[in-house]
Amino acid sequence: MTFEDQLGLTRRQLLSRSAGGLGAAALAGLLAEDLGAAQGQPGLPGLPHRSPRAKRVIYLFQSGGPSQMDLYDPKPGLRERQGTELPDSVRGGQRLTGMTAAQANFPVAPSRFRFSRTDSGQEFSELIPQIASIADRIAVIRSMHTEQINHDPAITYLQTGHQLAGRPSLGSWLSYGLGSESKSLPAFVVMVSQGSGGQPLYSRLWGSGFLPTRYQAVKFRAGREPVLYLNDPGGFTREDRRHYLDSLAAMNRVRLGEYGDPEIENRIAQYEMAYRMQASVPELTDLSSEPDHVFEMYGEDSRKPGSYASNCLLARRLVERGVRCVQLFHRGWDHHGNLPNRLAEKCGQTDQASAALVKDLEQRGLLDDTLVVWGGEFGRTVYCQGKLTAEDYGRDHHPRCFSIWLAGGGIRGGVTHGSTDDFSYNIAENPVSVPDLHATILHLMGVDHKKLTFKYQGRHFRLTDVHGEIVDSVLA
Amino acid sequence: MRGWAARAPSLRLVVLVRPGLSSPSGGYNVAVARRIPLATLLVLLIAGTVPGQAAVDFHADVRPILSDRCYACHGPDEATRMSPLRLDVEDGAFAPLAGGGSAIVRGKPAESELIQRVETADAARRMPPAALGHEPLSAEDIATLRRWVEEGAPWSGHWAFEPPRKPSATDSRADAWTLNPVDAFVLARLRREGLEPSGEASRATLLRRVTLDLTGLPAGPGELRDFLADRSPRAYERAVERLLASPRYGERMAFRWLEAARYADTNGYQNDRPRDMWRWRDWVIEAFNANMAFDRFTVEQLAGDLLPDPTLDQLIATGFNRNHRGNAENGTDPDEYQVEYAVDRLETTATVWLGLTMGCARCHDHKYDPVSQKEFYRFYAYFNNVSDRGRYYKYGNTPPVVHAPTREQRAQLRDLDERIERLEAESRVGDREIERGLAFLGPSDELDQWAYAERLVARRAFDRTGGAEMAGGNGALVLDGKRYVSLGDLADLDFYDPFTLSAWIRPEAGTGGIVSRYAPAGPKGFGLFLVDGKLQLRIDTSSISDRMRIESVAALPTAEWTHVAGVYDGTRATSGMRIYVNGRRVPSRSLVDESLNSTRSAAPLRIGHGPGPADRFRGAIDEARVYQRAVSELEAAVLAVREVPGEIAELPRQARTAAQHRKLRWAYLETSAPGRESAAWERLRATRLEREDFVASLPTVMVMQERSEVRPTHVLYRGAFDAPRERVAPGLPAALPPLPAGLPNNRLGLAHWLTDPSHPLTARVTVNRFWQMLFGRGIVATVEDFGSQGAAPTHPDLLDWLAAEFVESGWDVKGLLRKIVTSATYRQSSKVTPQALERDPENLLLARAPRERLPAESIRDQALAIAGLLTPDLGGASVKPYQPGGLWKELSNWGAYKHDRGGDLYRRSLYTYWKRTLGPPAMLAFDAAPRETCVVREVRTNTPVQALNLMNDPTYGEAARLFAGRMLHEGGDTDENRLAYGFLLATARPPRGAEAGILRASLNHYRDRYSTKPEDAARYLSSGEYALDESLEAPVLAAYTAVASMLLNLDETITRE
Repeated sequence: MTFEDQLGLTRRQLLSRSAGGLGAAALAGLLAEDLGAAQGQPGLPGLPHRSPRAKRVIYLFQSGGPSQMDLYDPKPGLRERQGTELPDSVRGGQRLTGMTAAQANFPVAPSRFRFSRTDSGQEFSELIPQIASIADRIAVIRSMHTEQINHDPAITYLQTGHQLAGRPSLGSWLSYGLGSESKSLPAFVVMVSQGSGGQPLYSRLWGSGFLPTRYQAVKFRAGREPVLYLNDPGGFTREDRRHYLDSLAAMNRVRLGEYGDPEIENRIAQYEMAYRMQASVPELTDLSSEPDHVFEMYGEDSRKPGSYASNCLLARRLVERGVRCVQLFHRGWDHHGNLPNRLAEKCGQTDQASAALVKDLEQRGLLDDTLVVWGGEFGRTVYCQGKLTAEDYGRDHHPRCFSIWLAGGGIRGGVTHGSTDDFSYNIAENPVSVPDLHATILHLMGVDHKKLTFKYQGRHFRLTDVHGEIVDSVLA
Repeated sequence: MRGWAARAPSLRLVVLVRPGLSSPSGGYNVAVARRIPLATLLVLLIAGTVPGQAAVDFHADVRPILSDRCYACHGPDEATRMSPLRLDVEDGAFAPLAGGGSAIVRGKPAESELIQRVETADAARRMPPAALGHEPLSAEDIATLRRWVEEGAPWSGHWAFEPPRKPSATDSRADAWTLNPVDAFVLARLRREGLEPSGEASRATLLRRVTLDLTGLPAGPGELRDFLADRSPRAYERAVERLLASPRYGERMAFRWLEAARYADTNGYQNDRPRDMWRWRDWVIEAFNANMAFDRFTVEQLAGDLLPDPTLDQLIATGFNRNHRGNAENGTDPDEYQVEYAVDRLETTATVWLGLTMGCARCHDHKYDPVSQKEFYRFYAYFNNVSDRGRYYKYGNTPPVVHAPTREQRAQLRDLDERIERLEAESRVGDREIERGLAFLGPSDELDQWAYAERLVARRAFDRTGGAEMAGGNGALVLDGKRYVSLGDLADLDFYDPFTLSAWIRPEAGTGGIVSRYAPAGPKGFGLFLVDGKLQLRIDTSSISDRMRIESVAALPTAEWTHVAGVYDGTRATSGMRIYVNGRRVPSRSLVDESLNSTRSAAPLRIGHGPGPADRFRGAIDEARVYQRAVSELEAAVLAVREVPGEIAELPRQARTAAQHRKLRWAYLETSAPGRESAAWERLRATRLEREDFVASLPTVMVMQERSEVRPTHVLYRGAFDAPRERVAPGLPAALPPLPAGLPNNRLGLAHWLTDPSHPLTARVTVNRFWQMLFGRGIVATVEDFGSQGAAPTHPDLLDWLAAEFVESGWDVKGLLRKIVTSATYRQSSKVTPQALERDPENLLLARAPRERLPAESIRDQALAIAGLLTPDLGGASVKPYQPGGLWKELSNWGAYKHDRGGDLYRRSLYTYWKRTLGPPAMLAFDAAPRETCVVREVRTNTPVQALNLMNDPTYGEAARLFAGRMLHEGGDTDENRLAYGFLLATARPPRGAEAGILRASLNHYRDRYSTKPEDAARYLSSGEYALDESLEAPVLAAYTAVASMLLNLDETITRE
């Protein structure tokens, strides 16, 4: 008898034995699981709460705090005030960081960059012409604000709804609530641009907090092994792995037959999922099948694994395959000094690819139900940090206002929501808080942010805590 | 109090906990709550609502509904109470309502407003109010409330706040199955549900289970053989004693305690750079191994520093509450993080000892439990008086810190001290001897040129005529405020190097650099300065707040020769900086105390110069020196002696100052003494430096220390650091017992209060956590929450009995564990019968032993042990095993992970270096807590990431290769025997027929495959750094390695059985 025969026989025998041993109800459960596997992983019962406008979200996180008044929030009136002291009435005694609190003065540093108006009536800096070119598809929010002034708490607040460690990230809430549409890829994937420098990141930003670890993101990495431990060892082929998994499952089934613990069946299923991922992930990250015009669209950088542009292209491939939430991180927007040059460099790395992603999704009919979000953790000060010259300036962290944009599923393009005062220091109208943004994202995904809860430490936790108003005016 | 203790929650309530976890799935899945077939659920639900069964239990059934659905508006939080009606206290629930009637009328649901309002179909009147977005109560909950009212609405306080009363374990011998009182409680509960317990697991299974549970390692083949050979009735108990006495026990017990204590090797937050707390970690291991009583374990960790004359070990213990994260980000407000640290200490302490979620009361009164916001801040005040700082050091330990030598190092230190004492005696010379010796030798240039030169790294004497210390008398550097002297690249010191800067000066202006080393382009560097007549010692880095500076209180005289010295001990705090004037330490004040970054840069050492052009010196400078050590007070005094040794020798003996005397003696010993004394002196100097270096190399640990001046505590509006309100004194929540008389109202009193035998929570919470360790779930499933939102205990009597026993035994942890693991309950088989699975899918009633997956640490430790790779060293600095390349680099610009070599690759996992913002991936994949905050709940998930890790991590590839070698060398001569041996190593049992068949077929398959392609075998065997066993044929070894890997991946291997 060949091994396969032996194994096949064993399997059949075991299945019948375990069915007898487990009882009909348990068998029904196992069969249901198999059905579930074909469709990906289900979310919570009753979700989505409403018919979703977006099924997937791609969050292009610009870590460090991009300068709003150099990109999306022009203040031409400031040119005349170059070098003058920021009026106390504007600052209003608000908190500064320890880096500039001791500065003797706070000279106004107008943006060095030109802005132009698009047909939609929106204004964009000369640094982001490609994003400007998709203006009619994006809604800019100029009136975002946060409560956090330092990177760690601010990024953590934006990604998890709380400034301290321990809460689930946005993506893990979504995968907990909505499940996955893919049977061979995780529901939540994160990618970090390589070689971009900047402030460090932390795994809690895509962690599952108090939710079970299955809801945390799987981090895709540039290079030979896109997911940790994905590759089989050298000298061990795909066929070897198949044979191995069959034997392993057969062994585990012997135990299942004897102990009747349904968790063993689950273990076998998880190993099969791992096996599928070993095929699906390399296929996904292999960009060789992408035609040249796609690389041209995303920019030359997109041929470079680990670049922001390459990750944008991968993001499209991920959502094509049903991944629920894709989170990109691009570091290096923390421009305390030498802002004009460094900001131009960051925009050079991200402008074309960000816009290309939106266009690409649109061309493939995916933009209608894919939400794209672009933004950082806070804004930057109108006053100069360090020495102000005609050509050069730096800006400190500024939580009171900053700009982000959204596009795609359920978003009304071509609008600008909210405004700031003449100094881009305080919000003049329609403030949008971080929980408001979260509530809006969840709403677009068909989730009532007040109803997606998890009981932990006796409390029913929500991503939006006790806050969150949906920003209706950016909705289509 | 009626019935609660006798009756745990009915099954239906618990089964419905966390529905999200139990969804069937082919994708990621979870083992916390096992899948429950729908049919079973329905049966349970229906059974749960059948009238006529046992009375509704207020604790288990009613209070959870009131708490979860009503307390938010009718509970403890005064600010959000929507009406005068309170449902969290008895007085409130039965009080007359403003509009007439009562919320609850005993026995009369029709007259009870509460029942009417939850039952009504009128959405406008219905509670909880739809207008506020609340769902109505379920029909089942309404029925429960109604029945409870019908039955007279019995009420009692929340069970966990009432002191445990030791129930008698009545029929502990009534049944043949029971072995000790634990079993009597479990059996009684099972019988009430009409269930029977399982029989004992096989002996081999039992040994493997208890060995893994108590030591985190598998039973070795020898241990297994001995145990199976021991046919005495006490064989199992003997094995338990052996395990409890093993040093591996303390390591295993530390697994979860490190998570509770949020122990890590880095600071966390933005920068997440290294710290050193492993001496605290080793203290924990030692304490468990020594079976330190849990009350002492508590007091020493929470308040060891406040004990009378604390020992070094008691100080190290207090590292517990310094394990929290520390923020070193530029621009953070220190006050903000001081608050976060105190809150973290409070939350951790409350979670670990009280099982209370007190953190909920930081911003407002607790919604469910009797902790007001003010009470929160009173409790917080106990933790708010630590002398640490808001902004943590970017690198290394942040004060308060102690040197924490290991036992071995303490012995070495004693040895050094003895040697020094001996050499001091040997090199002792009397004044008379010195005078005689000098008279014999005559005047000596060598003697007069002597200068104190221990670790002298730069010196400029400015002498024309020779002779040290003759300030100005034999030449000096005269500066006009423009020129300066550069000595080139000398004294390249960093902020952790101790140093001393000294010179004679005669200033003619109030401001100017004396000795300094600063980068030409930026403010990085260090130096001794005169600023407006005062002396400043500075250590600066690039950012404005990132520096350490102290300044003398008094100004120096101008136009007068003065000796000045600035001393820094390398501890990165201004508390380690001193200023000396004319050999005497002078009062100084700290100007800035924020050392975060390296001060090192390419720069010249300069005299009469500072970082900027404005810092140039005007006046005269002589004898400028830099030492690469912090000179002592005695040495500083000697530096300031102006006379050369020859001149001192001419002074009458009585006229010499102590410093002059010392200078003469040192110069004599180094230049003129006879061989014996001079040799002893040489050795003494070397030994003193050796001691100095040794002390500097000793590990340190961050500890608790009270501030000398009490930091006031205020209620913080909405929890914000910059919104202080009413000032409060330290104090305990009113719902908990008061501080026993005679205890101080501080952290020490708090620690003693927690371990007071009558405390309702500490013992219960603690035994519950140990129960969780052994059964995968606590008797109270919410081990972190014993409040009204927590789960009700499945076996309340058992919990109280264990808690009372624990206290009575003198908080004997090993005794408690012994009691549990020798019970019949623990020793049951874990096989699931279809009946049991249907009746109790989650095994709440323990009709069988749980079949838990091993903790993350044990999965790796076991593989190393099976492979024969495990390095058994106990304690020590954390180690870096294999980790995929680039993981750290890809998220930050700092710190490449470089794995260790040799034996440190194979240490137990609890010694693995833990970077807090990016923990070891293999540990996190198997549900280890991230260590950012306190976590006490054990979770088990089952994911494809785990499968990939176990199959493809080189850790396991290498372990499989070594494991295969073991099978081949130790397993006998036939494949069959070798495979059986391997299977036994992994599972502690021989394979059954079907299993042996699969293993053999698998081995044959891979042997054929690798024999045909030997080059694949070589590649497959290349995992890990451990040398390849050349004595074995590669295709054979590769085939065995594939099977070994499979054995390490078996569900049974990574599960307790």
